[in-house]
Amino acid sequence: MLIQHIINGLLLGGVYATIGIGFSLVYGVMSIINLAHGSLIMLGAYVTYVLFQQFGIDPFVTVPVSFMAMFALGFFIQKYITNCIIKWGLFMTVVLTFGFDLVFINTAMLIWNSNFRGVVPSYSGAGLELGIIVIPYIRLAIFIVSIALTWLLYQFLNHTRTGQAIRATALNREASQLVGVDINIIFAVTFGIGAGFAGAAGGLFSMIFPITPFMGVPFLGKAFAVAVLGGLGNINGAIVGGLVLGLAEALGAAAFGTGFQQGIGFMILLLVLVFRPKGIIGKQFFG
Amino acid sequence: MSVILEGKQVTKAFGGVKAVNNVDFDLQKGEILGLIGPNGAGKTTLLNCISGTFPLTTGEIIFNGKKTSDLKTFEIARLGIGRTFQVVRPFEGMTIRENVTIGAYFGKTRALNSNPKQASELVDRILEKVKLADQKNKLTTELTIAYRKRLELARALAMEPEVLLLDEVMAGLNAKEIETTMEIVQDINKEGITVVMIEHVMKAIMGICHRIMVLRWGEKIALGTPEEIVNNELVIQAYLGERYTAYQKGRVS
Amino acid sequence: MINVLKETKLMDRKWSISIVLPFIFLLTFVLLPLTIQGYWLRVLTSVFMYAIMAQSVNIIAGYSGYPALGNIVFFGTGAYVTAMAMTHWHFPFFLALLIAGLACAFYAFIIGLPVLRLRGRYFLMATIALTEATRQVVTNLEITGGGKGLTLPVFQGTPQVIYSFFYYLMFGILVACIITTFLLARSRVGYALKAIRYDEDAASVMGINAVIYKVLAWVISAFFTGLAGSVFAYWMTFIEPVVVYEIVTSVKMYLMFVFGGAGTLWGPILGAFFIEIISELVWSNFMELHYLVLGTIIILVVLFMPKGLMDLLKRIVEKLKFKKLQNRRW
Repeated sequence: MLIQHIINGLLLGGVYATIGIGFSLVYGVMSIINLAHGSLIMLGAYVTYVLFQQFGIDPFVTVPVSFMAMFALGFFIQKYITNCIIKWGLFMTVVLTFGFDLVFINTAMLIWNSNFRGVVPSYSGAGLELGIIVIPYIRLAIFIVSIALTWLLYQFLNHTRTGQAIRATALNREASQLVGVDINIIFAVTFGIGAGFAGAAGGLFSMIFPITPFMGVPFLGKAFAVAVLGGLGNINGAIVGGLVLGLAEALGAAAFGTGFQQGIGFMILLLVLVFRPKGIIGKQFFG
Repeated sequence: MSVILEGKQVTKAFGGVKAVNNVDFDLQKGEILGLIGPNGAGKTTLLNCISGTFPLTTGEIIFNGKKTSDLKTFEIARLGIGRTFQVVRPFEGMTIRENVTIGAYFGKTRALNSNPKQASELVDRILEKVKLADQKNKLTTELTIAYRKRLELARALAMEPEVLLLDEVMAGLNAKEIETTMEIVQDINKEGITVVMIEHVMKAIMGICHRIMVLRWGEKIALGTPEEIVNNELVIQAYLGERYTAYQKGRVS
Repeated sequence: MINVLKETKLMDRKWSISIVLPFIFLLTFVLLPLTIQGYWLRVLTSVFMYAIMAQSVNIIAGYSGYPALGNIVFFGTGAYVTAMAMTHWHFPFFLALLIAGLACAFYAFIIGLPVLRLRGRYFLMATIALTEATRQVVTNLEITGGGKGLTLPVFQGTPQVIYSFFYYLMFGILVACIITTFLLARSRVGYALKAIRYDEDAASVMGINAVIYKVLAWVISAFFTGLAGSVFAYWMTFIEPVVVYEIVTSVKMYLMFVFGGAGTLWGPILGAFFIEIISELVWSNFMELHYLVLGTIIILVVLFMPKGLMDLLKRIVEKLKFKKLQNRRW
C-alpha cells in the first residue's frame, strides 16, 4: 500500500508543481506575491466546466483554453492596474492582489452560485492496474500534461526572445531596461503566464476536485509551499517542491488521517521558512 | 599614547576569496588613522569586521582590552565604536533630528540620554558641530549629498563613540565641502575621539591623518606616518603615483 | 468648522487638536449606548474590535515594517484559550480574558524568535502559514472541540445590558490599545522600531538590538489581538476554527491599517471605522456583493490612496493652509 500512496503523491505533486511554477515565476520576475493565484485556478476550472457542461468538449482539450483565458485576464490586470502600483512595494501589491481575489470569488459566486460542481468525463474511474496498484488514467494524464506544460515553459524561457527578456528582467530590472526591454510588457506577459498556468492547473483540477468559488483558497497555500520549497523564483525547484508536497500530503494522510492533509503543507512551509528559506534546492534564482 | 583598538591576524574570506588577509594593526588612542588602498583592497571589509557587520574568518579584534570579534553588531556599537557607510544609509523619511536622536538613544551613553530632553541637548550640540543645525527639521529626502554625508557623521557622533570609523565620508564632495569636512573631523578628534578614515581624497588623508595604513589585495603593505608612506616604494608602486609623491615631498617637510 | 478653528488659531497649534478631538470622540462613544439601538451598538462593538486588531497589526507592520498578514492567529488563539478556560476549567471571564492575552503574548514570543528573523515576503508568508497550521491543529484536537467548535457560557442579562457590556468592554480595550501605541511610538522603543523599519542593518550599527525590539512589538500586537479574540468568543458564545482563524478577516484588518495610514496613531482606527461600516452596510443590503464591494474598495484604495487616509487628510490640510496664505497675500 505504501507504493500506492507514493504514486498518488507523485501524481498529485506534478500538478502542484504547475501551480507553484506560476506563483514562483511572478514572484521571481516582479517580486509580487499573488494572493489571487488560487482564484485564478478556480476560474480556470470553471472555464473547463462550462465548456464541458454546455458543449461537451473533453476537459483535456480545453486546458489550453483555460490557459489562454487566464493569460488574457492576467495580462490585462497587470498591464493596466498592477503595473501602476508596483513601485509602491510589497505591502501594496499583496493587498491589491487580495482585492482581485475577492472580486473573482464573488463574481464566480454570482455567475455560478456556491454549489459543488464537477467535471466527470466518461473515462473517469478507470485506471491502469499493475498488480495491487491502481493508477487512475485521469491522474496519469494530468501528471503528463503538467510535465508537458513545464517543459513548454522551459523552452519558452530559454529559446525565445520574450522568454529571455523575462529572465533578464528577473535578474536585473534596470539593466534590462537599459538594453531596450519594455518592462511593462514583460511584466504583463509574465503575470499572464503565471495566471495561465493557474488556469491550466484549474482545468486539470476540475476533473479530480469539486468545483466551487472557494476551491482556490487551499491551493493558494499549496502554491506558497511549493514555491518556497523550491526556492522562490526557481522554476526547476518548483517541480521538486511540487513533488515533495504531493508526497508529503499523501504519506501524511496515510499516517495521520485525511484531517491533517491540508495542514501538512503549511507546516512544511513554516518549517522551511524558518530553517531554510531559500528552499530545498538552495538557489534563489531562475531557470 | 596607548592602544585603543588592535587587530591580530584579521582575516575575512568569502568563499575562496580572502577580502582581508592576515592584517595586523594597532590604533593609537586620539589619533586619526587613514586607511587607503586601491579599490577592492579590502578597506570597507576591514571596517565591517571592526564594526561587527561581518564575522571574522580567523583572527581577533580587541577594543579597550576586550575582544570584540565575537560580539554582535549592536553590542560593539554600544561599547563605543561608531561608523558611517560609504553609500549613505540615513533613515529615509525621518527628519535630520530624528536620525541623529537614534544615535543618542542607543549608543554608548544611551543610559544618560534615555529621556527626550537630555538626548535633545546632545543632538543639538552635535548638529551645531557638524554645521547642520539650521536644517534639523528637514526630511532626509530633501538633502543634497554633502548634507547627507554630514548627517551620517552626526548620527554616528550622537552615539558618543570612542572610535569613529569613516568610510569615504568625502567622496562626491566639492573642494569647499571637503575643507569643511576636514575641519569637522579635526574638531571631533581634538575632543578625544579616535578616527579611522577610509579615503581616496589625498588632500584629506595627507592633511589630517597622523598615520596611514595601506592595504592592497586584502593585505597590509604599509603602516606609518604620511611622510613614511609617501616614501614607501611598495605604496608608490601600488597606489600613489610618482607625480603626486613629488608634489607631497615639497609640502610635508 | 474648519474656519472657526482657523480663526481662533486652534488649527495652528497642532497639539490641541490632537487632544480636543479624541476627547470629543471619547465622550461621544461613552455616552452613545444611552441613545442608540441595539443593532448599531453591535455594529460599533464590531468596529471597535476591528480597530483593536488593525492597530495591533500597525504596531508590527506599520511601525516596525514586518508585514504580518496572518496576525489573526492571535485572535483565534485568544478566542480558544478563553473558550477552553471558561468551559473546561470554569474560570470567570475576566480571568480568562487576561490569560488569553498573556497566552497570545507568549505564543508571539516563542514563535517570534525564529520567525522574525525572516524579512519582508518571507515573514509575510510565514505568518499566513502559521495561521493555517494553527487552525489545522485546533481543528484536529479534542480539547478544542475540533471542527465542531466550542460553546461558551452565556452572559446573563437583558439584551440591552449584554450589548452595553460588550460595547464598553471592547471600547475599553481599544482605548488601552491606543494609549499603549501612543506611548510606544513616542518612546525609545518607537524610535528603534522606526529605525528597524527603515533600515534594519543601519539600526544595528547604531546600537539597536533589533531582535528584542521586533519581538516586543509582536508580543504587544499579539496581546491586544488576543484580547479582542477573547471578548469575541464570549460575545458570540460559540466559536469554530474557520471563523476565528479566517485569512480573509486577517487581510481585512491589514487593509484597514493600510487604508488608514501605516505607522500613524489614528490611521488604523479611521480605517477600521470606514471599512467595517461600509462592510456592514453592504452585508445587510447586498449580501451577495459583499466580497465584490470589499475587493473593489481594496483595489481603488491601493491605486489612489496608497499612503492611506491620514496622509490624504494631511495633504488636504496643507493645501488649505497654503490657500489661506495665498489669500492673505492679495
